Amino acid sequence: MTDHTNDAQSTVLVIGGGVGGIKAAMDLSEARKDVLLVDKAAAIGGLMTQLDRTFPTNNCDLCTISPHLSAGAREQHIELMPLTEVTALAGDAGDFTVTLTSAPRYIDLDKCTACGECHKQYPECVRFYPGLDHRAPTCMRYPQATPQAFSIDMAACKDVDALVKVCPAGAIVVDDQEKEVTRRVSSIILAVGAELFDPGKLDHFGHGRYPNVVTGLEYERIMSASGPTLGNLVRPSDGQAPKRVAWIQCAGSRGINREDVSYCSSVCCMYALKEAIVTKERFQDDIETTIFFMDMRTFGKDYEAYYQRAKEQYNIRMVRCRPHSIVPDPGGQEMRISYATDEVSGMTTENFDMVVLSTGFRPAAHTVQLAETLGIALNTHQFVQSNHFEPVVTSRPGIYVCGVSEGPKDIPETMVQASAAACMAARHTDKALHDVEENDEYPPERDVFGEAPRIGVFVCDCGQNIGGAMDVEALVQESAKYPHVVHAEMAGHGCGQEALARMRRMIEEKKLNRVVVGACSPRTHEGLFQENLRKAGLNKYLLEIANIRDQNAWVHGGARELATAKGKKLIRMAVGAVAQAGPLREHTLPMNKDVLVLGGGVAGMNSALSLGDQGYKVFLAERTGRLGGLAAVIRRNLEGDDVRVYVAQLVERVQAHDNIEVITNAIVVDHSGMPGKFQTGFQIGPRMYYRQIEHGATVLATGALAHRPNQYLLGRHKAVMTQLDLDDLIEAQPDRIKDWECMVMIQCVGSRTAENPNCSRICCQTAIKNALRLTDLNPEMRVFVLYRDMRTYGFSEDAYIEARRRGVIFVRYEAEKTPQVTADGDRVTVQFDDPILGRPMEVSADCLGLSTGLIADDETTEDLAAIFHLNRTEDGHFLEDHVKLKPLDMSVPGFFVAGTAHSPRSIAESIAQAQGVAGRIQGLLSQDVINLGAVVARVDRDKCATCLVCVRACPYNVPFINEDRYSEIDPAKCHGCGTCAAECPAKAIQLSCFEDAPIMAKLEGLLERIA
Amino acid sequence: MITAERKPLAEIIDYIDNCRRILLVGCNECVTVCAAGGRKEVAMLASAMQMDFMKRGKTVDIREMTLERQCEPEYVEELAPFIDQVDAVVSMACGCGVQEVVRRFRDKRVYPAVNTQFMGAAERPGVWAERCHGCGNCLLGLTGGICPIARCSKRLMNGPCGGSSKGKCEVSPEIDCVWQLIWDRLKELGIEDRYEEIILAKDWRTERGGGPRKIVREDLAQ
Amino acid sequence: MERFEPVIVAFCCHYCAYTAADMAGTMRLDYPANVKIVRVPCSGKVDPIHMMKALELGADGVLVAGCLEGDCHFKTGNVRAARRVAYVQQQLEEIGIEPERLAMVTMSAGMGTRFASIANEFTEQIRKLGPNPVAAVRKGQAAAEPVAQVN
Repeated sequence: MTDHTNDAQSTVLVIGGGVGGIKAAMDLSEARKDVLLVDKAAAIGGLMTQLDRTFPTNNCDLCTISPHLSAGAREQHIELMPLTEVTALAGDAGDFTVTLTSAPRYIDLDKCTACGECHKQYPECVRFYPGLDHRAPTCMRYPQATPQAFSIDMAACKDVDALVKVCPAGAIVVDDQEKEVTRRVSSIILAVGAELFDPGKLDHFGHGRYPNVVTGLEYERIMSASGPTLGNLVRPSDGQAPKRVAWIQCAGSRGINREDVSYCSSVCCMYALKEAIVTKERFQDDIETTIFFMDMRTFGKDYEAYYQRAKEQYNIRMVRCRPHSIVPDPGGQEMRISYATDEVSGMTTENFDMVVLSTGFRPAAHTVQLAETLGIALNTHQFVQSNHFEPVVTSRPGIYVCGVSEGPKDIPETMVQASAAACMAARHTDKALHDVEENDEYPPERDVFGEAPRIGVFVCDCGQNIGGAMDVEALVQESAKYPHVVHAEMAGHGCGQEALARMRRMIEEKKLNRVVVGACSPRTHEGLFQENLRKAGLNKYLLEIANIRDQNAWVHGGARELATAKGKKLIRMAVGAVAQAGPLREHTLPMNKDVLVLGGGVAGMNSALSLGDQGYKVFLAERTGRLGGLAAVIRRNLEGDDVRVYVAQLVERVQAHDNIEVITNAIVVDHSGMPGKFQTGFQIGPRMYYRQIEHGATVLATGALAHRPNQYLLGRHKAVMTQLDLDDLIEAQPDRIKDWECMVMIQCVGSRTAENPNCSRICCQTAIKNALRLTDLNPEMRVFVLYRDMRTYGFSEDAYIEARRRGVIFVRYEAEKTPQVTADGDRVTVQFDDPILGRPMEVSADCLGLSTGLIADDETTEDLAAIFHLNRTEDGHFLEDHVKLKPLDMSVPGFFVAGTAHSPRSIAESIAQAQGVAGRIQGLLSQDVINLGAVVARVDRDKCATCLVCVRACPYNVPFINEDRYSEIDPAKCHGCGTCAAECPAKAIQLSCFEDAPIMAKLEGLLERIA
Repeated sequence: MITAERKPLAEIIDYIDNCRRILLVGCNECVTVCAAGGRKEVAMLASAMQMDFMKRGKTVDIREMTLERQCEPEYVEELAPFIDQVDAVVSMACGCGVQEVVRRFRDKRVYPAVNTQFMGAAERPGVWAERCHGCGNCLLGLTGGICPIARCSKRLMNGPCGGSSKGKCEVSPEIDCVWQLIWDRLKELGIEDRYEEIILAKDWRTERGGGPRKIVREDLAQ
Repeated sequence: MERFEPVIVAFCCHYCAYTAADMAGTMRLDYPANVKIVRVPCSGKVDPIHMMKALELGADGVLVAGCLEGDCHFKTGNVRAARRVAYVQQQLEEIGIEPERLAMVTMSAGMGTRFASIANEFTEQIRKLGPNPVAAVRKGQAAAEPVAQVN
């Protein structure tokens, strides 16, 4: 690990190693900032590592992220301190002194190989995380716990000497002590998450008393392949497969009773749907799934479609009711739920095999303690207080917050805040660090030219992942016989710290000049092993990976001999190919560090300011003639802040900023280049003069449109207006409004419909914001809100409660039976069915407010998508690279998305994205050069027949016939597809890394037995 | 450029069926460009030949070589170190290349692997069309720069004939009537009058009428 | 009689087919061990010579696997690959080797299931064709002929 003693001005302390903390740490390390990551637990990963799958993709996304968490990728900038808590803080932003207390692990991290002997022999002494167990037979949940080591619970250990003896690595440290250190850091990111509510405190649900009542997370563990039942869904009481499973939403949330919290946990609706869908996917018609809910809050990007799929495609039964209690069926193992619905008078009673309680987030007691230690304010719910216009800023300068510690939210929103916090925290670090040349730490590359190949073969067992499917020992013995192989050995978890260090040692000792690793896919781990070669003084291209896990062990799990034979062949092929490999140089270009931000709304301006403050030159291009976007016409947010003042200040700061150049009336017309070297052409102003801007990264903050569907007399009757109109009217003409007697609001106008299936996310809050302001002006005013599901997620539930307290009447309507609106002079008459009274109602209103929400700016996103080759969602928003893990990155490298161009969202959420994007861009632009890699086509001038085939075949028009009369391919422009190499009739072109020789060697290696 | 097409495999195999060691020689000029006999086609043919032999229970030793220009003695000389090790040479060059190898290695059997076609141009990638017949007396100056000898099915000097229809030749709808092309071109240049001038009967002695041709540049000849 | 186990080479493009093959593993889908993968950046990188050489060296079947049409990471590599496969199939016919021993397939990165089912079907197809006639002879040879180098 790097020496961090001299870290006063350059280190960011990240507290909490869940996905939020990890993301913040990774973003900072990408931006070449040093990070000290502390976590209370023995391994990082947080809650996400225990999830079976994540919505809305139903993928195990951890498999995607875990390689990035492994030590090799992060060690240069991230120092990890597990089992550690912050116990004191002094100093100010830019120079904090923090006291850290680490609990004893009783394990020497440098020695532990995670072999599992201690756990096998003395399970009671080992702190063991079922979700993190890499050895579970079919577990792929989290094969690489970081740090990959066990920890001992000494108090539980009766025979310490015996335990010490059982460890083959001698890693158990009996006299390990609690340690306290002080460190200087420049800024702090708080990412401690929250706990899940323990429903055992609610006696009416019987959790803890009845084994068949479980929490959502417990259900997740039962379904998980790495869980206690190895993924078999069984009823805990008797191990029988359940036939009927029910979910009860809002267990402990949205309540006013003992142990309840008033806020909404934001994620439980989606996770219940996910668990029900996954259950249905696995058992189809063999199982019945029922969800008891109050409001279905699927407000995220494309989440509404997920909800519709759950109902229509998977036949998940939705019952709108909050059951009071769960009681055991006297006849057996089943649980009985009685409930009432609108449709049926009286109570209905049903039995279920299992009941899942959808429990939400609660701030942990130690978080409250930690907030006190750090001196930061908490809100009324004991979550960290943040500012609506600065969503990751806490009450103490220099301390930032992200994820669930700031408020309930899902993983993508956590990721966004983490990147935003990384961006903000980096402001306090020493900028000079940028200039440190990173590669200095590597030894010089050994010249292997002219040496005969000396190949080392390292075969991973990856725990049971590879070792369980084939005879790794036999693979090693066989490899030793292959040509040029001078060393072969088992590598255990080859990607672990210990194994990598050993590989480097072997390279040196055995004078290896080529390496084959029998491992997982090169797609995920090639970079890691390449870097290891480089550290050992070898060129990183003297490596070949034989994919014996993803493409062998996992495919032939049940056929050991077959898998072993195929594994041998795969290694034989790799040995053949690596013998032909030569050292390669990577091509680089200078990085253009300017940023183009498209869109001058709140998101665009915040991105520009965050980047401009960091010293990046920003071009802020706005299509219209003014800055401010949609927010410029909003008067108040839900919390009552004056949005107009905020936007005006923002515009002023942007226009006065030395590093920001604002270009208005600018329309994008062309684009070329790659990250770090883009050129984008604009037509600017009424004269449409052409200007080309060179930039290194691009932010898409082009916003969305306020929807104005032709419904409910909108635009045809002056008493009918959108919530946006109403917001303005309340500020502009309060005296007129004061006299209104009755106001009706209709939700989901133009949203959640066949034409626009998604939820606009902001409308429920907006309606309540306006309802509260109306009742402020005139407490006697009758306000009706006609809604489908109230989606006041997170703390905005408090405003919903307040509105009801003030007598605002909320009436639900069904999508099939929308309210009827007719003109009545200056007034409008609204007819609707009241589901509780069970009869039609008619209200004469002074004003009808329509919650019309936002729709994508389809025309703009379509044009930009065509010019930049970007992906879009079906409804015309930009589609991010990965909905869960990379919510801000577009799949085209160098492009990022923020604000409502991504999906409908609040101002605070847009600002978080805007700052998050700035955090991501810091990482991208921290490098001084663009690495183009080494996979480029090279021309042998002596063989070239100047036939022009390559010139014509290249999809990027790179090759040309130069003055010396042969084809020339600029490595800076070559994309490395190899089309030219395959087409050249003179065989004058070879693609580095994929030359004919290694490909032929692979074929010969594979087929030599036959020959 | 000289164009060529590979011969059917069976014909090539027929020539060399009793050989065990073969030198397969490509050329890095015209036949490379028209994808008939460059390094890549040499490798393809070598593999095809090998498989054909193996299918019949035999194997051959095929040495692949591609010369810069097989119609030049110095380049052909590069074959000398290997020539004694082989039973036969198979050449993928045009007829000129094949004969140059024959001229140098009198006692070696040399077989062609391509059919030399015509002098042509690449109409588009992968498509080559005849453009010049090598008549020895170029009359492109009279025909708007488009050759009726190479491109008229009848080699008419004063066309078109009655078989020209809608700009196409009666021989095949794939073939443009060259006299239509010539007329269009003359019109574009505004020299339609030229069309009225009768081109006199061609003196074919400059083609093959005077026997095999030779060019001698006294100043360069050694 | 012992069941014929063909050897099949699959040239898989990095962005789609190779990823799909990894995905098949992640999904624990069983497909025949007969199929061995050679990774290439793009199916457009697969030279006709490689297809020929694989068969000459004794492979019983060769797959060229790229991205779905229109989805090539490098724009048109998969289209070129398909054309080359058709060309090599003609060559094989001339030699008298069943052209069905060579096939072009396409899939997206997420199609682990498709990769596994293609691997199954193609292996079955080749099993029906029987051993590569070239391979049958090779086994009888005492020693392989020296493979001549391309200059």
